[in-house]
This record gives sequence, structure tokens and C-alpha cells, in this order.
Amino acid sequence: MQAIAAQVKEAAKKLLEDKKVDLVVGFAEGSLPLRGTPLFARTPEEADQLTWNRGCENNLANFLRKREGKVAVVAKGCDVRSIVALTKENQIDRDNLYIIGVPCDGMIDRKKIGKLLGGKEVLAVEDQGDTIVLKGNGFSETAKVADLLHNSCIDCRYGNPVVYDALIGELMPEKAEEDFAEIKEFEAKTTAERRAFLAEEFSKCIRCYACRNACPMCYCTECFVDCSQPEWIGKSAADVQDNILFQAVRVFHGAGRCADCGACERACPMGINLRLLTRKLVKDVKVLFNAEAGVSMDDKAALATFTADDPEPFLVKE
Amino acid sequence: MIVSKKDIPNLLDKMIAEYDVLAPVKKDNFTVFKPIASGADAVLGEGNTKLPAKELFFPQSEKLFSYSVTEEGAKLDAPMDDKKKVLFGVRPCDARSLKLLDNVFDNDKFQDPYYLTRRANTVMVGIGCNMPSSTCFCTSVNSGPFDTSGLDILLVDTGDAYVVELVTDKGKALADQAGLAAASDADKTAAAAAKEAAVVTCQVNTDGLKAKLDVNFYDPIWEKIHEKCLGCGACTYLCPTCHCFDIVDDAVDCAGCRVRNWDSCAFPLFTLHGSGHNPRTSNKERYRNRIMHKFKYFVDNFNEIGCVGCGRCIKNCPVNMDIRVVLENIRGSEARLDS
Amino acid sequence: MMKNPYLPLPMKLVKNFTETEDKLIHTFTLQFLSEEDEKSFPYMPGQFAELCVFGKGEAPFGIASSPTEPGFLKFSVAKVGTVSTALHMLEEGSIVGVRGPLGNSYPVEQFKGKDVVIIGGGFAFTTLRSLATYMMHPDRRSDYGKITVIYGARNPGLLLYKDELAAWEASPDIDLITTVDREAEGWNGRVGFIPSVTGEVAPSASNAHAIICGPPVMIKFTMPVLEKLGFTPETTIMSLENRMKCGIGMCGRCNVGGKYVCKDGPVFTRAQLNELPNEY
Repeated sequence: MQAIAAQVKEAAKKLLEDKKVDLVVGFAEGSLPLRGTPLFARTPEEADQLTWNRGCENNLANFLRKREGKVAVVAKGCDVRSIVALTKENQIDRDNLYIIGVPCDGMIDRKKIGKLLGGKEVLAVEDQGDTIVLKGNGFSETAKVADLLHNSCIDCRYGNPVVYDALIGELMPEKAEEDFAEIKEFEAKTTAERRAFLAEEFSKCIRCYACRNACPMCYCTECFVDCSQPEWIGKSAADVQDNILFQAVRVFHGAGRCADCGACERACPMGINLRLLTRKLVKDVKVLFNAEAGVSMDDKAALATFTADDPEPFLVKE
Repeated sequence: MIVSKKDIPNLLDKMIAEYDVLAPVKKDNFTVFKPIASGADAVLGEGNTKLPAKELFFPQSEKLFSYSVTEEGAKLDAPMDDKKKVLFGVRPCDARSLKLLDNVFDNDKFQDPYYLTRRANTVMVGIGCNMPSSTCFCTSVNSGPFDTSGLDILLVDTGDAYVVELVTDKGKALADQAGLAAASDADKTAAAAAKEAAVVTCQVNTDGLKAKLDVNFYDPIWEKIHEKCLGCGACTYLCPTCHCFDIVDDAVDCAGCRVRNWDSCAFPLFTLHGSGHNPRTSNKERYRNRIMHKFKYFVDNFNEIGCVGCGRCIKNCPVNMDIRVVLENIRGSEARLDS
Repeated sequence: MMKNPYLPLPMKLVKNFTETEDKLIHTFTLQFLSEEDEKSFPYMPGQFAELCVFGKGEAPFGIASSPTEPGFLKFSVAKVGTVSTALHMLEEGSIVGVRGPLGNSYPVEQFKGKDVVIIGGGFAFTTLRSLATYMMHPDRRSDYGKITVIYGARNPGLLLYKDELAAWEASPDIDLITTVDREAEGWNGRVGFIPSVTGEVAPSASNAHAIICGPPVMIKFTMPVLEKLGFTPETTIMSLENRMKCGIGMCGRCNVGGKYVCKDGPVFTRAQLNELPNEY
């Protein structure tokens, strides 16, 4: 990780020194253990703060839409998928974007650490590669990194950036096809069970819209929840049905565009299992159209194309 | 006075007979304040609840009144929640936040009866913080782990028991009702020792901050500060002192109710004029307003910093916008975030 | 029991009237349902109220009527949002809600013994109509010196209160100057933007106050004209508009710096605004 961090820094500084780009978007060390924070470096000195660690969890594609000038980004596999999807939607000008790709085998989920430690506060960490040492007041615990990764990272098959201008670190071996086990489990529930599950989950929603704002693909000038004429949806978080409706529309709008990066779920302060919904759509798009968002510059987005043999199961009574 | 930890469930059960008792309860991997049906449900001594105590007095969504309109006029019905309540196990920072919010909801011209009725009918029983979190900076904003300013009773954790400190007459009345044993000198010593041992390691230097904010509205530093902010409402909704709201109608035809919902200065819609003009066009202006509101406007208007240092915004920000770092950057010095 | 500032007073819409050719501004006359209701609503020129259409919500509007006109309230409302649109469609006889009076008012006490120059553009003329009507009341007219009103609109069809303007035109109590941006058929009055017209009219700033309301661009260009005429930051008065909701200084959205437009304003002197950031 440290070696990668150093290389990221060097690459970024060089781009800025050579005036190849005006801005590098990457990660700096955050203020909490295992927390990277987005950094906007415009000078080689600022680029000195760049780093790379297990807490670089934000999807930086979110900061790249409609940028002026030449921009470089330090991008994981999922960031790159979103970049590809956004490029196809004319939100990013690929010619003005320099992608410093970093193969990523996963970021650490601090909620999993919280569970592991029963709520004890981590004050310092030591990254030892496959394991990590978590230290706090009167304790020091070693855990396997693999046990602490975000679920989105565990499911991710595109840790290697699908496009890049420079690559830092080594490409990783391909992972096996994903099995969508938890989605199948969800689908197997009865309608009433699913409804009850969603009602429980979305009773936690406080409508802060962190999910929406953290999502690189959520960039509508006016989100339908904010529209007042007509008012499509109530704004009160007390109405669970409205909370579900908000998320349902958001998720459907992301169908065929969502790279399953998990940014929405990570952003949620209330710990709502948002990926269950986004991933259900990822699975549907894959099953119905054999398509995945942002995995190739050449594909057209699944729902932006039509072929005569598109499946239309929703039109047929099963 | 003193109360043994094992007696707390019983004590709460007795209170429940007479009051609505609100206490932290477990929800997934965090705690939230809820009315409890049994004293055993209270989860005391954990860190701060996910949502701040303000939601008990100023709920995220609240019916202000219901109405039915006829040709002759309108019938309005505005019931007040005047139930006697005990808020048990609140942290001093959250309790203090309500003292600050009192300034807003009972301002120089208007009183908010919904908030103030709940405030008047609630006894605040707090538990001091023996183990402040690394994100707590209460001592930097004129508070501390045993601050009693918003409390009627302060409990000091001495291991197996809580030593009870009566802060107000309201607190004394509740404690008298509970019939607690007197604390021994040893208990008092233990309480003093617990207070002594609780160290807030995180310090944010606020010296000169207000003076800086008085003059730096147009400082280019705001261009940098907001850059990673997503413009979501997580920090404001989880903030114990943020009080912005919206008022909407929830109605079918002429019968319905007027509802107020939390709103956030982080949202563009918050200030958008009907003409399309927006005085706070981007995240820069909106984030600046959040900082200014807490550390300048609140001070100008009420002579208090509008922040209690609970650290919720630090822990919950999706992009690690750390208010401590922001304030340090504004002051123009290095952040001291040692833990 | 403390007064609940969120409860609206039900009032009857007795007139829903438009006189602008674009039909986008309606003037509503609302009648108090009882004398008691009317007593509970003592207001002064410059104040505003939250008007509500039950089922749609409420929005703030300046009060266009004057306290010297008993029995009713008047509001002129442009169709821009949910509430104003609903208001425009209301039938006469409907019950609406009014919450207020809110905000401060024009400092009419300070104006006593002084000349008053009222400058308004577009549909921001509403509370200025209230002010002019108040000062022109026979009981009060002698309290003030010369009253000059400069009122402009994009074209003649967009002028509000045309009947009253005609009466003012004929009155010796008030010096009315109306202007439109461009020449128009049948228009014999002045042509020109408010800033230049103000310069031409050149009201004396000696022992005088200027009150100005209008679109930001009009304010921006009129300010230097007033300054040149000798109006000081202390004698130049403005009424601000910001998005508001509660109207009572709690909901947080209308602040300009540490001041809430709803509670501490909407009327500010230029001197006060000079101390505040430009967030309006």
C-alpha cells in the first residue's frame, strides 16, 4: 500500500509539474483511522498529500462530471467503471481526463470493524498486507483484511481498472463469476416478506440524500424528490412508503448505469442495506440483457439500446 | 445520592409508571433514543446515540396542526405534546445542545410552543462521559464530559454505580421521588476520580476563530474547503444544534395537516427563490453558511458557539469532511488531532 | 398558554383580480371573518404575512393594503410557485389562511417631518403601495413633507393598482412619476429605466428618506444615483426578499449573515446591509 501511495504521489506530481493536467483528484489521509478523504491537488506541493490505503472508499468519479480543463484522477476499478458510464452519458470528456488506474482488491468496511470490536473505538491501525492490526485504548487486535472488506468489494469482479492512462501496482487475477446469493435469497421471499423487510430497512431513512449525492450517476439537475410542481413524493422521512419510493426510483434510474460500487450504502449514516436494491437491478440487467455498466468503452448502456430480441418478461404474464 | 447500576432497570420501571421515559436503545449497530416500555431496554453508557436528542423535542417530522375548511371558515386543531417525560441517559453535549436551541425556539419575538412544551415537561437525566471518543471536542466549545448546563441531574459512572448530582430543582424533585440512598464520602471521591480520569484528548483551537469569521466571508479559502462536500444533509440531520426546517401541507382537498420536516442548508432548494435566483448557489456558499451559522452568527446572536463538539458530523460524513480540520484551516494553522 | 405562531387566521377571499396584461400577477382582497380576528392582526406598512391555500401550503407575501384600510387585507402575488399558482386559481368566496403580521415595517415614525421618496419596480411595489396609502391618509398626510413616488414596469400593461395611480396622479398630496422601459402604444408617460428616471426626477435628499424595492438589477443601478443625490446609507431603506418559511426566525433559510430577513427584516437601511454579506 505504501509503495502504491508513493507511486500515486509521484505520478500526480509529474502530471502537475509537466502541466499535463490542472488538477489531480485523489485521496489524502483522512482524519480518522482507515479513512481516506478526497483531495483536489492543483500544485505538486498539494499532490504531496496524496495517498493510497484501505480507506480510499469514495467513488471519485462523482467529482469528475462537467469539469473544466485537464483533470487526472486516481481511480480504483469501480471508479473507472463509473467514469466509463459517465463518459457515455457525456458527463465526462475522456480526452480531458487522465486516469491513474490502481488495481484494488477491496476497501475496509469500518462498520465491520465496529462489529468485530463490539463498538470499541479504533485509534490507530497498522496495515500488514493480508492482515491489519487494530489498536485502541487498552487493546490491540489483528484481523484478516479479507474479513473486513465492504461487501461491494467482495462481490467486485472489476478491481482492475477497465481503462487507464497509467497503471500503478499489479493487475490482479480475475475473480469467478458472482453468484448474487443474497439477491436470490431476497427474491425467494414472498411479496409480504419483501415488503416487511423494506419497511423495516427504510424506517431508518432520514432523507439526508447522502446515498444520492455520493452516487456518481445521480446527477439530475433536479432530482424528482426535490421537484415541487408537481410534488411527486412527500418530503417527510416519517413516511416509510415515500422513503422506499425515493430509493426505488433512484435505483431504477441507475439500472444499467450502476457500477455496483456501493458508494450509496457506504454514505448512508443510518446503515441501510441499499445495495440489496441496487444489486437486484445489477442482476436483472445482467440476466435480461447480459450487460454490465461501465465495463467497456465500446458497449452501449444496456437501457440506452434496443434490439429486436430484447427480453420483455415484464410484458408477458408469467 | 447514589444508585447502583443493577437497580437502574427497577428505577426506570418505577418512573415509567409516571412518566414517558426516553432512553437510548439498541438499533442495529447503534443506539437511538426511544420511549422505553421496560427499564431493562435502556442501553446506558454507550457513546452518543446515532440521532441527537434534539429529535425528541424537535422531531424530524411533526404535525403542527390539522385542519378542516368549510365555506364559513377553518377549524384548526393543534394538540401539544405535554406528557411528562424523563430523558434518561443523555450525554452532556446533547443536553447542552438543547440549551442552545432554546435560544432559537424562544427567540426575542416568537415562541415555538411545540418545542417549548416538550422542553418544559421533560426532566433531563444525563450520564457523564468517562471515556470520551477521539472525535469528541466538547471542551473546545465551552462544554465538557460532565457539563451540567443542560441537565437536571448528572449521573457519574463510578463502575458499579452512578453517583447522582442534582443540578436543578426539577432534578431534585425527580430524585426525591425515586428515594435514592445517600452517597458516601468514598462514592463522592470515586465520582471525583472518574471526572478527573475522563480526558477529552481532542482539542480544537477556537482562539481567534470568531474574529477570523467576522472578516473572512469573501476569503478564497472557502473555495477549497467545500470542494469534497457532497452537499448531502447527513451532518445537519445528525447535528444536535442544526434546527432548520420546512413546513408543508399533507392534505387531501380541504382536510389535512400542516407538517414540519427537518430541512438542511446543505440543499440547494433550501434558499432557492421563486424567481430562480439563489443567494447560495453552490456548495461553497452552503457549506460556508453552515460554519458561519455555528461559529459566527450564533455567537453574534446568542453569545454562544452553536456547536457542542459531539463529533457526529465527523463520524458520519461520507467523505470525511472533518469540522475540526475545517476550523483549523480557517484559523490558518495546523490541525491538532492527536488522540 | 403561549401564542402559537404557526396557526393561520382563516380569511375569506372576496376578490381575485388581475390587471396586468400577462395575467401573472393577481391582487387578492381578503376579508376578516370577525372583528376579533381583525384586532388580532395589527400591522404596519412593510410587514408581510404567510398566505396559505389549505392543502397546498403557505408562502410569504408583502401586505399591499394599509392599516388605514380596515376590514380587509390585500396582497398582490406573482404566479411562481405551488402556493401562488394555487392562489391564482382560487374562486372568490374561498377560505384561505393568513399568518402574521410578520417582520418589521417601514420606519414611518422616523419619516415624520421629512420628505419621503418611494421607488419601486415591477411587482415589488406591493408594500410600497401600503406605505404610500398609509402616509396619504388624511389623518396622517400632514405628518410628512413631500411624498414622491417613482414607479416603473417593463410596459404599461404590467403596472399594478392602475385606478389608484390615476387618483394619485390627480392628487396634490403626492408626486407620482410612472415610467415604462420602452415606448408603448397609448403611453404618454415617461420612458426609461428606474435609475435614469430617478436621476432625472432628482428628488432632494435634504431632510428626506428614500425607500426602494424592486428587482436586484434595478436596485444595483439605482443605488449610485441615490448616493449622488445625497441619500446616505442611513436614509436609504430597502426591503429584502429571501426564501422564507416559518417567518419567525427559526427555520433558518432566509438569513443574510446573522440576520433573518423574516424576523429582523425585511426592512433594512443600506447602512445595515453594508454590514452584512450579499446573500440575497
